Amino acid sequence: MAAQDLPHASFIERYRNAVLGGLAVLLFFVAWQALFLIVPFNPLFITKPSLIATGYVDLLESGDLLHDLAVSAVPFFLGLFAAVIVGVPLGIVMGWRVRIGYALDPLMTVFYASPLVALAPLLVIFFGVGTAGKTIIVFSLAVFPFIFNVSSGVRAVDRLLVNVVRSLGGRERDIYLKILFPSVLPYIVAGARIAVGRALIGVLVGEFFAASEGIGHAISRFGDIFAIDRMFACILTVMVIAVVLTEGIRWAERAAFPWRVGR
Amino acid sequence: MAETQALDLDLSAVGSARVVTSAFKQRVESMALGTAVIVLLLIIWELLPYFVSMKQGTRLFFTVPSRILATLWQMFASGSIWAPLGVSATAFAIGLALAIAAGLPLGILLGRSNTLNAMFDPFITAFNATPRLVFLPLLMLWLGIGVWSKVAIVFLGALFPLLINTHEGVRNADKLLINVVRSFGAKEWDVARLVVIPNSLPFIVVGLRLAVGRAILGVVVAEFFGAQDGLGVLMVRAASSFNVDVVFAGLIIFAALSLIMTGLVKLVEERMNRWRPQRAATE
Repeated sequence: MAAQDLPHASFIERYRNAVLGGLAVLLFFVAWQALFLIVPFNPLFITKPSLIATGYVDLLESGDLLHDLAVSAVPFFLGLFAAVIVGVPLGIVMGWRVRIGYALDPLMTVFYASPLVALAPLLVIFFGVGTAGKTIIVFSLAVFPFIFNVSSGVRAVDRLLVNVVRSLGGRERDIYLKILFPSVLPYIVAGARIAVGRALIGVLVGEFFAASEGIGHAISRFGDIFAIDRMFACILTVMVIAVVLTEGIRWAERAAFPWRVGR
Repeated sequence: MAETQALDLDLSAVGSARVVTSAFKQRVESMALGTAVIVLLLIIWELLPYFVSMKQGTRLFFTVPSRILATLWQMFASGSIWAPLGVSATAFAIGLALAIAAGLPLGILLGRSNTLNAMFDPFITAFNATPRLVFLPLLMLWLGIGVWSKVAIVFLGALFPLLINTHEGVRNADKLLINVVRSFGAKEWDVARLVVIPNSLPFIVVGLRLAVGRAILGVVVAEFFGAQDGLGVLMVRAASSFNVDVVFAGLIIFAALSLIMTGLVKLVEERMNRWRPQRAATE
């Protein structure tokens, strides 16, 4: 850790962690491939990296993977977008108006704590297996991180700023626009990091249940027909997307709000 | 999230002039308002069929709180709930126990060794960011649709909060204390026993709280897609036969279990944090 702070540290020392991590991943795949030189290989049960790579190429060439990803992306982004639109204003109001906070907090906590995924079968029956049902599942899972993060962001707002705006003749609207909204931005991003994971769960649940396309459907279909290589290719794709989204938001947090790092 | 929220509440209570009224009055008001809203919504829901006329098809999906409660009562009274609940609870308990058994030692190990930490970091990041649900079809293929694929999902869900928080707690241990213990001739095991483990306990408890929530979620989703028995299976079957009451009853049971268990862990957490100046970090 300390080596990163030294300006004259050698390349290896500076990137020691990244190098070690990369080596470990490489080693993992090599060991996986090499394992089947000793252990008998059963393609109905397990696969190896070389076959996954071939499966990948197949999926990319046929365009199935991109099509499924595109289908899944629509409810994912629609649901997240709706969650921001609803969650951020609600969170701001719940954080700022103390009584509204009192009134809504227990209700929201109950919703947040209960496994809302449990309503998925009902939602799927009610709204169908298409985009609408999935979007609603995504929304209902992703909205709560925004509400709770934003309202705790509002509660952390410096009261001095509020008093200054009031002293200078600012109205309630000025407080909302000039203090509350800007100061909860980092909390929105932090909420987004959690919401993205839950939104992915929402998409997968919707697609595992009943769907005719989408990445979740692809995974369960390849499982059903024992096409383990292509199933792994899809699973790895989801993992990469999840890591890119979460780490991307984390990076954006560090880049845009450096004063919050370490909180 | 909940943690920062609790912290910030203290700050605002100190900072704002609005909240100088007695803390007791404030607590009564907050509880009254919160309960009132929930009760009001339940009443509106209950009375909705009297005001809104619904089509025959919509009525199939519609239920009111009193019917849900009656179903819930009937499930407990007839005892039909215990068998599926037992199946779900077994998967939950085994998965969580395995996650604790694996997560704590691994977390301590990774916290104590920078090299191992750097090597495991990509895997932990990847698995923690990915919804564990994505592995479910694979696990069903490997472990069948019995209890073990559920256990595996619960295990994967609960492992990472425990592992990451333990690791964080170990890393947070006071270097000075470690050096003192070492100077007196302690071995690595003594360092762990005397300094590292006591220091990381509050972190571990926070990890446990997150893990319990994830474990319950794991049971629910695993039972939705590949299981023969359990509360989740009951709910899916009810949903596909338009038995909406049972779905909501199941949701209430899951939510109550989740609230009770996280509440219990939170009690332990507060008990431990009482003498600590700073709070343990979450994720």
